[in-house]
Amino acid sequence: MPDGLYNFLTSQFGVSVVLALVVLGVLLGAVAYCIYFERKISAWIQDRWGPNRVGPAGLFQPIADGLKFVFKEDVIPGNVDKPLFIAAPAIMFLVGFIGFAVIPWGGYWEINGKLIDIQVASLDIGLLYILGVASMGVYGVVLGAWSSNNKYSIFGGIRATAQMLSYEIPMGLCILIVVLTLGTVRLEEMIAPQAQYWLGFIPKWNVFLHPIAFVVLFTTMLAEANRAPFDLAEAEQELIGGFHTEYSALKFGMFFLAEYAAMITSSAFLAVLFLGGYHFPGIAWTQPDVTHFGAVLAKILVLSGKVAICIFVMMWVRWTLPRFRFDQLMRLAWSGLIPLMLVLFVWTVVLVYLGEERSPLWALGGNVVALVGTLVYAGLSKAEITGRTSNLPPVQSAQGGAMAGMS
Amino acid sequence: MSSVSASLLYMVFSLGGVGLYLLLPGGERRRTGAAGAVLGLLAVLALLLVLGARGLVGGSQAFYFYLFSAIAILGASRVVTHRKPVYSAIYFVLVVISTAAMLVLLQAEFLAVALVIIYAGAIIVTYLFVIMLAQQHTETVYDTRAREPLLAVLTGFVLMAAIAGHAGESVSVPAPSAVAARSVEIGGDGSTALPPGNVAAVGAVLMTRYVVVLEIAGVLLLVSMIGAVALSRKRVPYEGAPVPTTPLGQIGREVDPF
Repeated sequence: MPDGLYNFLTSQFGVSVVLALVVLGVLLGAVAYCIYFERKISAWIQDRWGPNRVGPAGLFQPIADGLKFVFKEDVIPGNVDKPLFIAAPAIMFLVGFIGFAVIPWGGYWEINGKLIDIQVASLDIGLLYILGVASMGVYGVVLGAWSSNNKYSIFGGIRATAQMLSYEIPMGLCILIVVLTLGTVRLEEMIAPQAQYWLGFIPKWNVFLHPIAFVVLFTTMLAEANRAPFDLAEAEQELIGGFHTEYSALKFGMFFLAEYAAMITSSAFLAVLFLGGYHFPGIAWTQPDVTHFGAVLAKILVLSGKVAICIFVMMWVRWTLPRFRFDQLMRLAWSGLIPLMLVLFVWTVVLVYLGEERSPLWALGGNVVALVGTLVYAGLSKAEITGRTSNLPPVQSAQGGAMAGMS
Repeated sequence: MSSVSASLLYMVFSLGGVGLYLLLPGGERRRTGAAGAVLGLLAVLALLLVLGARGLVGGSQAFYFYLFSAIAILGASRVVTHRKPVYSAIYFVLVVISTAAMLVLLQAEFLAVALVIIYAGAIIVTYLFVIMLAQQHTETVYDTRAREPLLAVLTGFVLMAAIAGHAGESVSVPAPSAVAARSVEIGGDGSTALPPGNVAAVGAVLMTRYVVVLEIAGVLLLVSMIGAVALSRKRVPYEGAPVPTTPLGQIGREVDPF
C-alpha cells in the first residue's frame, strides 16, 4: 500500500470518510433487510410463513422489492403541487440518513500512536445535532401530505405534525435527564461513564438509573417514527396510507426506507444514551480504554446487536398492540408523559445539586416514587379509560336498540 | 482586512431594493417579476463581488460563506415574494438552515443547532401546520398582492443601510477558541476545569455572567406559556348540551359595532 494512501486511511479524516461510505452502504442494506425481517416477524406473530418464495427462506425478497420500487411506473397525479411532491420524499430520505453521522460506532482506534474516533463526525453538540435532524423529519410528512392535494393525505399530515410536535417534548425531557446525569452532550463521551460497574458486575448503564426515562424515550421514538401503535398518520383503515397515499414506485420506496432508517438511528441513539453504547459486561474488548482494531470490531458488533434488539422490540410492538385513537394519543403525551417526565427531570436536577446524580439508590428511588404516584393518581382520578364520555349519543345497533345499555 | 466604502454598498442595496420591489407580487395589475429577478440577482452578485474583491471575508471557508449567504439572501427574498404561503414557509426554512450553516463556519455550533431546532424544527412547522389547515390550493387576494411594497422595501433599505454604514469599520471578532478559553475562566477564581467545548463555554457564560438575564427570559417564557393556556381554555359545548344562560364571551361572535 502506498504511503500516501496508508496515511490517509489512518488519519481521522480518512477514517471518517471511509466510515461514512461504509455506514451508508451497510445502512441501505440493513434497511432493506429490516423490511424483510418485519414481514418475517409479522408472519411469526400471526402464525404464517411470511415471504418464502424468492431465494432460500425468502432471503432475496428485499432485492425483488427494491427492483419493483425502481421499475414500477412512477405516477405523479394531476393537480399535485409538483415541486414539493417530488421534494418531500427526498427530504424524508435525507433526514432519515444524516442522523448516523454522530453515532459512536466503535469507540477509539489507536494506530501510529494516535487515537482515532470511529465516528463519522465527532461533534461537540452530537446529541443536539440528532435532535435537530429529528425535528426536521416532520417536513417530509407535511409537504408530502399537502402537495398531494388529497383530503386523506392532509388528514394524515395534520395528524403526523401534531403527533411529532407533541412527542418531541417528553423526548427532550428524557434526553435532558441523561445529559444531566452524565454531564456531557458528546455522544462518544457518554459511554465511558456507563462502562463501569456497581458491585463489580452490574454495569452502570443509564437504564438502571432511570428506567422510566428509558421506557418513555422508547415510546416517543415509536411516535416520532410514526410506528405502530402511533401510526395514525398512515392508518390504512381510515386514511388509505395517509401522507403517502398518492405516492408510488421509488418515491413511496423512499418514504418507506426513511421510516426504517429513522428506526435504526433512534435505536442506536437509545443504545448510546441508555444501554451503554458499545459496552457489554463481561467482554473486556468492549471497555472504552481497549483501543486495538479487534476491539473496534467487537464494539461495532455489540452496538449493532443492541440496535437489532431494539428494532426487534419495535416490530414486536407493532404486530402486537392495537393503534391508539387520536385523542388517546394526545392525552398520553400531554397529560401523561410530559408531567411524569417533568417530575423526574426536576428530581434529577435536585440530585445533580446534591451531587448524587449517579447514585442508583436516589435515582431509582425517585423513579419508584414517580411510578407509584402515577398509579395512585390514575386510580384515584377515576378517569374513564377509553375517553368516551357519557354525553355522546349511544351507538344504535341493527335491531334499533341502544348498544350502550346492554353492557 | 480592508474596508468597504459605504456608498458602494448603498448602491448595491438600491439595486437590490428596486429588484425586490419589482419582484413583490402585485396581483393582476403588475407583472414585473422577471425584471425584478434579474435586478435582484445582479444585486446579489454585485454584493458578493464587492465583499470578495475587498477581501472582507477570506480564508479557506470563504467559498462556503459566499455559498450560504447567497442561498440565504435569495431564500429570504423568495419568502416575501412568493405567492404561495407554503412555499414562503419552506424558503424561510432554507434561510434558517443556511444561517445555521454560517454559524457553523464561525464555530458557533451550539447556536447553529439551537437555531435549527427552535426555528426550523418547531416554529416554522407550526406555521406550516396553520397554513396547511387554512389554505389549500386556491390563491387568495392577500397572498397574491403585497400590501405596501414600496414602504416595505424602503424600510428594509434603511435597515440594511444602517448596517452598511458600519461596514467600513474594521471589527475584530475574537477567534472561537479564544472565546471558549475566556468563558471558562469566568467561574470565579479560575479553578473551574471545564472542557473547552462549545456547549460548556456557552453554558458557563449563561450561568455566570448572564444568569439574571437568563432567569428573566425564563420567567417571561413561563408567563407567556401560562397566558397561552389561559387564552386557549375555552369550553367547547357538545351537541345536546344545556344551553348556557349567560353568553360565553364575545370571541368569534357577530357583534353589532354600533
